[in-house]
Amino acid sequence: MLHLLLDLDPPTFFNGDNGSPALILKIVLAFLVGIGLIFALMAAPLRLRRFIVVAVTFLSGLYYFLLWFFPAPISRGPTDAPNGPLESFSFLIADAVPSVVNVSNILSAVLIGLGIYSLLRIHLGRIVKQQKDWAFSLVLVVSLFTVAFFGYWDWIIRQGPTGGSLGAVPNDKWSFPLYAKDFFFEGFLQQMDSAMFSLIAFYILSAAYRAFRARSVEATILLLSALIVILASMGLIQSNWDNTIDATHIGFLKNIRLEDMRTWLNGTMQAASIRGLDFGVGVGLLAMALRLWLSLEPLGRES
Amino acid sequence: MGIGDQYRDTGWFGILFVIVIVAFILFNILRAKGGKELFIRRIPGLNSIDEAVGRATELGKPVLMVPGMSDPINAKAMQAINIFSHVARIAARFANPILYCCSSASVYTVSQEVIRDVYQQEGLADRYDLDSVRFISDRQFAFAAGVAGILLREQIASCFFMGEFYAESLIFAETANRVGAIQVASSTELTQTPFFIAACDYVLIGDEFYAASAYLTRQPVLVGSLVGQDWCKLALVVFVALGAIFNSVAMQGTTTQEWSKGKLKQIPKRSIQQGDTLLSRLLNPDPDPDIKVNRSKRRPDELPQPVKDSGGGRA
Repeated sequence: MLHLLLDLDPPTFFNGDNGSPALILKIVLAFLVGIGLIFALMAAPLRLRRFIVVAVTFLSGLYYFLLWFFPAPISRGPTDAPNGPLESFSFLIADAVPSVVNVSNILSAVLIGLGIYSLLRIHLGRIVKQQKDWAFSLVLVVSLFTVAFFGYWDWIIRQGPTGGSLGAVPNDKWSFPLYAKDFFFEGFLQQMDSAMFSLIAFYILSAAYRAFRARSVEATILLLSALIVILASMGLIQSNWDNTIDATHIGFLKNIRLEDMRTWLNGTMQAASIRGLDFGVGVGLLAMALRLWLSLEPLGRES
Repeated sequence: MGIGDQYRDTGWFGILFVIVIVAFILFNILRAKGGKELFIRRIPGLNSIDEAVGRATELGKPVLMVPGMSDPINAKAMQAINIFSHVARIAARFANPILYCCSSASVYTVSQEVIRDVYQQEGLADRYDLDSVRFISDRQFAFAAGVAGILLREQIASCFFMGEFYAESLIFAETANRVGAIQVASSTELTQTPFFIAACDYVLIGDEFYAASAYLTRQPVLVGSLVGQDWCKLALVVFVALGAIFNSVAMQGTTTQEWSKGKLKQIPKRSIQQGDTLLSRLLNPDPDPDIKVNRSKRRPDELPQPVKDSGGGRA
């Protein structure tokens, strides 16, 4: 492995012992430098700002371009040293993946703060002004802080005295914060998630009722196809229907068995259509990514 | 030299194909930038945007936009933001309120900047409501519940669902249907497209989603890119057709050789199977896994030590 700035070993200016005051100080400093850079970027002339954004976008994309196109190491062992500059570069690209992922994780963590700020601005404003449905906003804000508080308390306890991975706590060691977190996450949040998910079953029924009305030739074909697939999925109906068809003498009759019709619809009609759509979506995504990488995308501009 | 792992056996073919596709797109972008007039067919789902915003204006109700569940931001979310910038522009011109719900903090941040820019470009910065672009939740069904609640409380008149949708798609579409909203939708997830088709008024299917910005703005770069995409699809169709013909012909014969792990070996005579054909070999690289490369070894003290604490907790 090559040593990158974000690796924990060997000790450099850019890392520190886990939980140490030096590391916390460096994180705070890095955060402040980051904020300073954002303000500097905002104060920069428009053309310079655009150049910086284009350059950063291009360099970020270039890394993944190289990861995909630059010849990767063959049969590399954990203690192998590179032969020559090309192999060194190839090793470097491969080794940088965790560090690049870390950078994007850090960015996401900062952005989630902005998201929470948006939530609080809207809902605290509504509570203060006692606007319509302000009680719902109150529930949201209280839930946000309660779940975050008990979630973090629980996480701290599960770290143990020396820190470490999150593990299962024995039953006799459970304390109030663990029960509280379990109550809020497993008792409330997961159940509400499940309730929302289960609603889909009813929505499918109402949507299917509207979609499968035979209003046109296309809708009628859709209705018949869906009917065949649904009936073929019902074991009792499928086996009874298919067993009544004797295709021993007239082989063509095999085509009206539910199972065969379903296989034909799924394997021939549906699979071909989905692959066609997949090709289109894949090429579209590639073109979009290319335009973004090369800053050709006029995001939000009409002319 | 011990590099080039992804090019081994027939691995080079996929990379070459991507390069050809990229070349098609870039060539057509240059062609369109050079002033060449390029044709785009009519897409009904996109023509309905004006109608949907107009309806919301008549009813005096907001327009709702949801850019999917992409987290963190990706090309799909960027395309959704691109389309919504056009919707927001029309809404701004009609002085119609908008609501823009995000499930990802990164999508929220970019969206807010883009929508604010749109209002400024239109000279209507005073009409932009900072709270119109909102982060709801990054948890799938909490987000679904939040958006469904907004749909019901605000009695939305027009909804635009575009981007990466999963199981929540039908919750949105059916709730919007319940409040009588006109819906224009598109999901990059093909498993969700049938739900949108069943429940929404207009649906952009497959790559129509990526054609939207070119269709709406007619900018040379985007139109050129779209024509490049069509060239790519044509190349894929030709490849599939030729592959079907060549495979059908090739599989009529017999063989005494077989490719295995990048090497050709002799076998008893047998009929040619699908895996033996050239096309199958090109699409399924099978390099030799036992290849050895001579490299010097690092000393133990040169290697990074394993990290003792991965939890980030107390020391």
